[in-house]
Amino acid sequence: MLKRKFIILVVVCLFLVVSSITYAESTEKSGEITIWSWDPNFNIPIMQEAAERYAKDNPKVTFEITELAKADVEQKLHINLASGVTAGLPDIVLIEDYNAQKYLQSYPGAFADLTDKIKFSDFANYKVGLMTLDGKVYGVPFDSGVSGLFYRTDYLEKAGYKSEDLNNITWDKFIEIGKKVKEKTGKAMIGFGLDDGGLMRIMMQSAGKWYFDDKGNVNLSNNDALKEAFKTYKAIVDSGIIKKTSGWSEWVAAFNNGDTASVVTGVWIIGSVKADKASSGKWKVATTPRLNIAGAVNASNLGGSSWYVLENSKNRDLAIDFLNQIYAGDIDFYQKILMDRGAVGTYLPAQSGAAYSKEDEFFSGQKVYTDFSGWIKAIPTINYGIYTYEADAAIFTVMPDVYSGKISIEDALEKAEEQLKDQINR
Amino acid sequence: MTEKGISRSFIKPRDKYGWLFISLALILLGVLLFYPIVYSLYLSTMSSKGIVQKFVGFGNYVKLFQDSMFILALKNTLTFFLIQVPIMLFLALILATILNDKTIKYRGLFRTAFFLPAVTSLIAYTILFKMMFSLDGFINGVLLNVHIINSPIPWLLDPFWAKVTLIIGLTWRWTGYNMIFYLSALQNIPEEIYEAAKIDGANKVKQFFYITIPLLKPLILFTAIMSTIGTLQLFDEPMNLSQGGVTSATIGPGNSLLTLSVYVYNLCFKYMPNFGYAATVSYAIVLIVALLSIIQFKLMGDKK
Repeated sequence: MLKRKFIILVVVCLFLVVSSITYAESTEKSGEITIWSWDPNFNIPIMQEAAERYAKDNPKVTFEITELAKADVEQKLHINLASGVTAGLPDIVLIEDYNAQKYLQSYPGAFADLTDKIKFSDFANYKVGLMTLDGKVYGVPFDSGVSGLFYRTDYLEKAGYKSEDLNNITWDKFIEIGKKVKEKTGKAMIGFGLDDGGLMRIMMQSAGKWYFDDKGNVNLSNNDALKEAFKTYKAIVDSGIIKKTSGWSEWVAAFNNGDTASVVTGVWIIGSVKADKASSGKWKVATTPRLNIAGAVNASNLGGSSWYVLENSKNRDLAIDFLNQIYAGDIDFYQKILMDRGAVGTYLPAQSGAAYSKEDEFFSGQKVYTDFSGWIKAIPTINYGIYTYEADAAIFTVMPDVYSGKISIEDALEKAEEQLKDQINR
Repeated sequence: MTEKGISRSFIKPRDKYGWLFISLALILLGVLLFYPIVYSLYLSTMSSKGIVQKFVGFGNYVKLFQDSMFILALKNTLTFFLIQVPIMLFLALILATILNDKTIKYRGLFRTAFFLPAVTSLIAYTILFKMMFSLDGFINGVLLNVHIINSPIPWLLDPFWAKVTLIIGLTWRWTGYNMIFYLSALQNIPEEIYEAAKIDGANKVKQFFYITIPLLKPLILFTAIMSTIGTLQLFDEPMNLSQGGVTSATIGPGNSLLTLSVYVYNLCFKYMPNFGYAATVSYAIVLIVALLSIIQFKLMGDKK
């Protein structure tokens, strides 16, 4: 009796094993890929587009794209990774480039090594660099934050400047132009928040520098680029060419309402610039101003993010295959997201596509995306390190005293460096 | 049967059932409250980069005194505590006294109006304040129009004014809440005391200082301690007043709104995640709250 039961059991087991093997061989890829991301106007619809394209070829693959606020994605990721419970984690997650090394170094083994899975030579250099740790590459590069100087041609013409006058300029020249604009039109040249580190980052990266040196040591007080950036910040404020804003919406409103003549920021702002339809045809884009020091170039970057696959996720290999097929292979996909969302990818083969060379009515017929993809190649590669946000906080804590002239730039940098070292030496 | 006999035969099984009934609550308390408290104490002896941890013993506590960012957060928090709490409690007392006066018309309406801010969402009101206090916002518009000021006040752009804005916001949100406590206590003060005082020639101001305040002392102590805890844990308001920007680097201009709780959040989620050090700062908050509460008890409590 017992023997017969045993034989039946063995037969059943064998049957199951054999059938599962043949099953796996005979069917196409299937499973559900879960994704965490932020921004319902940018990353989410772009991911949905990518998912649709993949699902067309692989109908058995479904997607669950969860939309969260950026801070919430980061918070959830930290909590789940720190607790060691992988059940709550998605297959793919979006991580901001400035934070990439922080996650990679804080949670070793948490992200899938993609070095041999993706052809990284097809992507912009600086982008691959920031997701590399110990010679291994952990992400799939996504959008670029290549920066540019967006400006109102009507205001600048009134002040007596033509397009050529704005390309390849220094920040000193920018301030000089700004004063003229203020004088002739009464408009501010630029708007930003006094505690906003965005421009500081653009300035520094244009000079190939960061808050840290290549080895990750704090580099504030002897950092020429940073010193020059401080001077420029103060000069912009002192010269009165700035409209001071607080927070994102005021900042966007400043250029949408025509209160400022220019915006210097990442290419991802295009959608917001274009939101003001009345000013169509009055905008153009020039190269990013550079710092007045040796080695600085007229190209930089602000922001941008990339996709990462969780090592212990349920459908890891499927997720990698998906990213590889769409984000590292579908040129048509990149044309579509560029046209629909103004998303400039860092996948180089896509940049010879039709959408990239289109003339844009809004920007007075300028081929803006051809220009931006040219500038991408000139962005200096730097190591953002793992303490960018700490450094930002240290610097902008002393900044009010610099604006008011209470302390010199040298003393401020000294103070910030001391504070930053205190904070990260633990 | 003696009384002792009764208790022996009855209380024992009752004890058993008692323990049984509260066991669920006790287990939940243990798992969700006591365990985290003990675990975070253990955590505060670690220094971590995400899951890469190392034991540092009291190192984190020593570091607190060298960390200028922590000291700045502590300074800011204490500033809010020392300025905002007294203003708010005093205002609440005055409002409660006025609204307790039976001769005032539409008392219910005024009471509701003053209490209403306390039911609004912290985030909603902070965002509203941020809009109203922007450089070309409503407040500056009004002040400019009635010629109180000549140039707009940089409410959220200057370290000093940012603090002022936060204090105004906090006072608006919480005064009515404290007022309700005082109002309920005032109704327990017998009318005769005031009548007697009146006959003795004490005016309203004297009545307020010599009758109302001394009789409300226990409640003032209670609200003071509650407000102390609330201020020390201040989080939503500074976070939302400062959030935004392309990459807003600090909490308010020059980190002027950085509070201890926001610092704990930053240590976990914005900066390199150091849960160990964050736990240390949390313990520092607990210690400070305890210390301030003891001082308040000593200052205001009855000397029995």
